[in-house]
Amino acid sequence: MSLNGLVTTAWLIPLYALVAWAGALIWSPGITRRTGPRPAGYLNALMTLVAFLHTVGALVAIWDQPAQVIRLPWLQVGDLVLELPLQVSSVTLGACAVVTGLNLVAQIYGFGYMEMDWGWARFFSLLGLFEGGMCALALCDSLFFSYVILEILTLGTYLLVGFWFNQSLVVTGARDAFLTKRIGDLLLLMGVIAIYPLTGSWEFEDLAAWAEAVQAGSATVDPTLIALVGLGLLAGPVGKCAQFPLHLWLDEAMEGPIPASILRNAVVVGTGAWVLIRLQPLYELSPTVLKVMLTIGSLTAVGGSLVALAQIDAKRALSYLASAYMGLIFVAVGTGHPQQAYQLLLTYAPAMALLVMAPGTVIWNSITQDLRYLGGLWSRRPISGLCFLTGMAGIIALPPFGSFWVLTDLWQQLAQSGQGLWAAVVLVTNAVTALGLTRVFGLIWGGKPQQMSERSPEVHWPMMLPMTVTMGVALHMPMILAVLGLIPALEGIPVAVMTGSSLTGIALGAWLYLQPQRRPVDWAFLADWQDLLANDFYTPKLYRASVVFVVRIISEITALFDRYVVDGLVNLTSLVVLAGGQVLKYTTSGQLQAYVLTIVVGVALLGWLIL
Amino acid sequence: MLSALIVLPILGSLLLFLGLGGRKLAVALAGIPLVILLLLFANFDLQAGGLQWVQRWDWIPSIGLSYSLGLDGLSLLMVALNGLLTLIAVLTAEPEVKRPNLFYGCILLMSGSVNGAFVAQNLLLFFLFYELVLIPIYLLISIWGSPKRDYAAIKFLIYTAVSAIFLLGAFLALYWLGDPHSFELAEIRIASLRPAAQTLLLLALIVAFGIKMPLVPFHTWLPDAYGESSPPVAMLLGGVLSKLGTYGLFRFGLQLFPQAWADLGGILAWWGAIAVLSGALAAIAQKDIKRMVAYSSIGHMGYILLGMAAATPISLTGAMVQMVSHGLILALLFDLVGLVERKVGTRDLNVLNGLLNPLRGLPTVSALLILGGMASAGIPGLVGFVAEFLIFQGSYQDFPLPTLISICGTGLTAVYFVILLNRTCFGRLDNRTAYYPRVHGWERIPGLILTALIVWFGIQPMNLVKWPQPLAFTLSTQVAQAQTLILASAGNLAPVTLSGADPGNWETSRN
Repeated sequence: MSLNGLVTTAWLIPLYALVAWAGALIWSPGITRRTGPRPAGYLNALMTLVAFLHTVGALVAIWDQPAQVIRLPWLQVGDLVLELPLQVSSVTLGACAVVTGLNLVAQIYGFGYMEMDWGWARFFSLLGLFEGGMCALALCDSLFFSYVILEILTLGTYLLVGFWFNQSLVVTGARDAFLTKRIGDLLLLMGVIAIYPLTGSWEFEDLAAWAEAVQAGSATVDPTLIALVGLGLLAGPVGKCAQFPLHLWLDEAMEGPIPASILRNAVVVGTGAWVLIRLQPLYELSPTVLKVMLTIGSLTAVGGSLVALAQIDAKRALSYLASAYMGLIFVAVGTGHPQQAYQLLLTYAPAMALLVMAPGTVIWNSITQDLRYLGGLWSRRPISGLCFLTGMAGIIALPPFGSFWVLTDLWQQLAQSGQGLWAAVVLVTNAVTALGLTRVFGLIWGGKPQQMSERSPEVHWPMMLPMTVTMGVALHMPMILAVLGLIPALEGIPVAVMTGSSLTGIALGAWLYLQPQRRPVDWAFLADWQDLLANDFYTPKLYRASVVFVVRIISEITALFDRYVVDGLVNLTSLVVLAGGQVLKYTTSGQLQAYVLTIVVGVALLGWLIL
Repeated sequence: MLSALIVLPILGSLLLFLGLGGRKLAVALAGIPLVILLLLFANFDLQAGGLQWVQRWDWIPSIGLSYSLGLDGLSLLMVALNGLLTLIAVLTAEPEVKRPNLFYGCILLMSGSVNGAFVAQNLLLFFLFYELVLIPIYLLISIWGSPKRDYAAIKFLIYTAVSAIFLLGAFLALYWLGDPHSFELAEIRIASLRPAAQTLLLLALIVAFGIKMPLVPFHTWLPDAYGESSPPVAMLLGGVLSKLGTYGLFRFGLQLFPQAWADLGGILAWWGAIAVLSGALAAIAQKDIKRMVAYSSIGHMGYILLGMAAATPISLTGAMVQMVSHGLILALLFDLVGLVERKVGTRDLNVLNGLLNPLRGLPTVSALLILGGMASAGIPGLVGFVAEFLIFQGSYQDFPLPTLISICGTGLTAVYFVILLNRTCFGRLDNRTAYYPRVHGWERIPGLILTALIVWFGIQPMNLVKWPQPLAFTLSTQVAQAQTLILASAGNLAPVTLSGADPGNWETSRN
């Protein structure tokens, strides 16, 4: 089969994972007892490998070629024709390559990390579901089907976070992840349904063309309506990208297994950003929506990177950074730089994967993710330490590594077009991220060993191999950018400013956390701020006091109303009837005189009425 | 063909009442109609659209009762749902159910009468079957239910009696006011009726069928009836009998009174939205998983009402698909909840825990419960989403606010199902008490069949959507014409465009 065949069959890419997913379903507990749990995992990894190879082959074939569209019919009711349009282009296939590649890496990492677990079938099939869903999302060219996929992935998140379901924190984490994402999804659904009467199509090209027509004045739309629709369409990405105020779930999702966290932090949060970037022309129709987007994005970027500083849980310190970087993508899209947003997704993914993998190996055999009990691992675990440093270099603006080019380009564009505020957001987020990552590095690898890191060697190959391979990819990111022709022309000042901000963060972090003798950062004037950040601005409490409280009270009231008022009325009626019967039965006394009297009175009454 | 659907189950029930057979015979008798259904599906003419397999035999001409049957897309789906759920209910019943012959006989008698109601084309005949259903269902609730079953059965009976009074009143009024006097669905003309009289009759029908569905605030029999009856009966009550209500609204409300329906559309849409919200909110506060599932049913009836109120082709198709989807999902949920109760011995959310445990819990049941809950909450890829999406998409332009409120309702549905799943499936199994009986293979079969259908129709919705579509288009054009007539009479539109359209004669043209 020629490589072109791989392009025309690109719709298979999401299906490979689903085949493995269906295959894993048969590893019910009954079969697992006989074969052990592992075959299900190997099957999934094999299918992911096939999907990856297919993607790479198709990517080679379609390089420099125009995009192709494959349509799969789904539903037709009257004039509502829903076909799943799959756009096969170098960009979408590139995204698929990132997804399948990272998924393969995460699955092999999972072989090691989940070594002793019996739930392989469930775990790997869910990873497969995510892979299939994300590939389909990357290829899919329709807002409606993007919503469908995002919603299915919400269910996937619920099940994957709830993987170790007998721990209470996992149960609440899964619940919160599902419900907060669902809020975003349903607002997105409202937007999806409301936009159709305006545009008559859900395909991204048509939406962009319509938005252009509105901008050009050849089509009109009510500004309030489009603002509301835009806010609905924004809510979906806000939930998926864990942006304020729907950011809580990502933090709690860290209760799930680490291989899933790798995937989630590196690419799953990016699904929202992907939809956000593609909808950018629509958002531009309403200044309100852009303002909201920028506010949410910048609050999350700065706030998230600050909150990460105060976390003592290794995974949580990283999860808030994922929110923060998605916030930067919001800022990029809100200020009209979708190109930079795409590139940031690309450079961010392998770096973030590394940042989760490296502490993951430590957590696995040090049996704690509490940063206070770790330390001094540089001499024992240099490879994972190097991987962490590579991830850190790849995610902040440190030349010549990957994100440096994107972040500096973004800052340069913002500064040159006079959007100083947003440029400052990028700068501060970068600096604080550098500080936060140096802190995590210092607390795990720097200083003297603590009680949980006294005996802590590097882990076995299924975790080391994918980690080092990812390190290679992250190190090659500048070259990949160069091959793609994405290295921007940078001027001296932006380079100096961004590099300076990174170095400042690193230096501050090194001064605070990379000392041979560890000193706790417990200055009195910081205490309140530390509490505020450690508790994530008290958002969980705020939720419990507001939304959760209100829903609970209203539902209790509804149930009581139902039981005592609506049903009470019914029961009262029946009581009255019964009582009436009880009273009336005494009229049937058997005395002839009484009956005659009744008849006479009746006849008299009737006669009086007629006459 | 259609008569077989009615007669076979009823004859079967007589066999059982006479003491022949038992479980195996009951399964066989419940399975036979499925063969007929397959034949119906294979020979149903989608192009023709209208009534098919029409047959008529004057039974008691002096009172206008005739045995006249016919089947269109909606009836087809409903008899199919009934046939499937009857078999599923028989399979779900405990093998050691007490007085098995009476039990299975009642189920078959109910199934046959419901089929009769779904294909009857004569108002009196429909009413006859509608009432006949009550006898077996009353016995089924009051003999085989939970401790409070007597209360539930009586309450159900009284409610339905009120429903029947309204229904009979409306039918009689149709007969006397209509010209010519007829109970024959195809012959009824209401054009001569004043608009006020039409609205009044429609309201009576809405109350009658609203009790059966049930619609808020006529719903308080439901949590008791569904909660106290045994799982197979709850399945049939929620999956099939509630459809008699929605089917009646379609057949005798929307189809006979397009103009009054168009007038009331706004109120009905809001009514639906309120039903969605109140059902979901009340479900959140429940502590008993069976009652929670029962309340979920109230909310889902709201979506159907919303879709019918908008009366666009898409929303009507959605409402009909929702009738099937609700039947399948509710049956699955009652099956699983029943299994949990049978094996674990409780339905209390505060006691249940950790059933997803692969070794000592009920892993398959829990996995299917997650799927069923998610289907009910409208997660895409499952049939519930297709129905709800079509309803929302079709209703949004006419009734934006009720539609958006109903979408919020799906969010609240997710809330209570997550509560249910988190308490029931997730969590740590208590080692001291977790010695549950095994779930046998045959006990999983009904759930697996329903799950397969829920997933299949979710991925390939055309297999389900294509059947009721022609009817949805006919009905919605009819309502749209009635609407333009209203506008025209108000002087907003030139009546010239409508000179050929007579909303009265469409029915004959379909025959």
